[in-house]
Amino acid sequence: MNEEEPDGALVRRVLAGDTDAFAGLVARHRDRGLRFAASMLGDPSEAEEALQDAFVRAYRSLGSCREPDRFGAWLLQILVNRCRTRGAGRRRRARVFVRDDVALERAAAAPGGDRDWREEIELALAQLDRLQREAFLLKHVEGLDYDAMARVTGARIPALKMRVKRACDRLRVMLREVDDDGAR
Amino acid sequence: MNVRKLTFALLLAAPASPARAQVERLTGRVDEATRAAVVAVVDSSRSAGVPAVPLVNKALEGASKGADGARIVAAVRALAADLGRARAALGPAASDPELVAGGAAVRAGVSPAFIGTLRARYPREPLMVPLAVMADLVARGVPADTAAESVASLMREGVRDADLVAFRQSVERDIALGAPAGGAAAVRLLTGTPTTSTLTPGDNTNRLPRKP
Amino acid sequence: MTGPGDDPLIARLAAELRRAPVARPGFDARVMAAVRRAPASLPSRAWTWLREERTLALSPLGGAAMAAVLAGVVIAGVWGAGRLSPAGSGPAPASPVAAAPSVVTFVLVAPQARSVALAGDFDGWDGSRLPMRRGTAGIWTVNVPLAPGRYDYAFVVDGRRFVADPAAPPATGDDFGRPTSVVTVGGGAARAAGGSL
Repeated sequence: MNEEEPDGALVRRVLAGDTDAFAGLVARHRDRGLRFAASMLGDPSEAEEALQDAFVRAYRSLGSCREPDRFGAWLLQILVNRCRTRGAGRRRRARVFVRDDVALERAAAAPGGDRDWREEIELALAQLDRLQREAFLLKHVEGLDYDAMARVTGARIPALKMRVKRACDRLRVMLREVDDDGAR
Repeated sequence: MNVRKLTFALLLAAPASPARAQVERLTGRVDEATRAAVVAVVDSSRSAGVPAVPLVNKALEGASKGADGARIVAAVRALAADLGRARAALGPAASDPELVAGGAAVRAGVSPAFIGTLRARYPREPLMVPLAVMADLVARGVPADTAAESVASLMREGVRDADLVAFRQSVERDIALGAPAGGAAAVRLLTGTPTTSTLTPGDNTNRLPRKP
Repeated sequence: MTGPGDDPLIARLAAELRRAPVARPGFDARVMAAVRRAPASLPSRAWTWLREERTLALSPLGGAAMAAVLAGVVIAGVWGAGRLSPAGSGPAPASPVAAAPSVVTFVLVAPQARSVALAGDFDGWDGSRLPMRRGTAGIWTVNVPLAPGRYDYAFVVDGRRFVADPAAPPATGDDFGRPTSVVTVGGGAARAAGGSL
């Protein structure tokens, strides 16, 4: 497998019957996919499951990928779906996922010394509305522009802008104290 | 859960059809005098375009909660008045769910004129969710005109149903975490000025907890 | 529109989040193994709704703090009524049928209750038609299909006490002096409404 091959070439090879070429796409997009899914779901092993699921679906519907050179964006769209499904499914099982006072109480009850910056961020992210978290991650971490975000999520741009703004407002408030202490 | 059985049972519970069928639901739940008075309100409201179902539901609610007949009738009359104002503002084509949400918004203090403007601006879009969000915001302490303006301005920017809901939930969370519901906070929500300016100094109820 | 460059806090936050986590060893191999398996139907059912109920993990303070998310207004689930499918390719979600009932899950945490029922505009405030089922840790639930509309409701505890849904907005009109909540249902798939006692 040639790791220098662009996505488009790898996709065409897979479609021509070279299944092994798909491993190149996995290697190339795995880290970024895991980054999004882990921040979105708040649980690394769930994130791996969601990402694996997304890759398998991508493989099976690879024929319908209209822009092979933009495989990454297409995969991200599938991954966003998978994360939404897992989030909704979890709710139906009545498992507590995000609820302000639960997160706060767990944080207060946790033993140990100072939490690090990363953990504060993860707690804050978990308290955001799911769609706001998703929009925030796509915009500020994955660096998508609003047109790309609209294609990936299926949402309208005004709604996406509102979600990002609300997310930033709330994150600023939640993390302000940590930031003021400066000790990171 | 057997969804189909439950669906069937629920659909039987509240047929949307004739007012006569509706008032039958009152039999055995309220005394005769109350029933007759409620029927009178239902009948006189019909000409104003007010549906019977919400009125009968209100009476049944009162019965279930053990309220006396006079209170029940008063509540039904008040609701009929709200629904009448909503009907006048939303027009003859408005659906029952839109009317009920409109009635709630009117009760919450949103002016019927404002609702009429919204209808004129969006003649073909269902307004149930925007009206419901307005009413819910007021129920959480946001002033009525601020609630109405926030929703209208979000709609002007193209924001629709699910995201209006998310906006309302965000506001509720902020209020629950200590931000004042009144004018200052609501204006902040509209304009996006920094949230910390509205918090009481020393108020850390919306911070992440620190290990003491 | 504010960008990360305009706000140092957001920029720091984004920079931290950009540090990619590391997948467990063998991730790539596991994906390729799944890819090579004979493509019967997608494993979606194995990943989602039909998984076993997980037991709830409650912190010691969990009782008072427990809540399902979302209450007040139920809109279409993942995709939203009236939204376009994402442009471009990829598996598309099924669109919800307009005006079809949505299933709403009502939840109340009430470990001390002997019985909990749901009463509201959707069942004529009967109180006997929608008994709730007691689950782990005193969490009572019921699933109710609701046509689009706005419904006042309350929980009836031990057959006599009306309890509002703390996570839902209060009802707007005359509640006859008893705690009452309201839920608004738009078109599409369901989400949960609930709260704790």
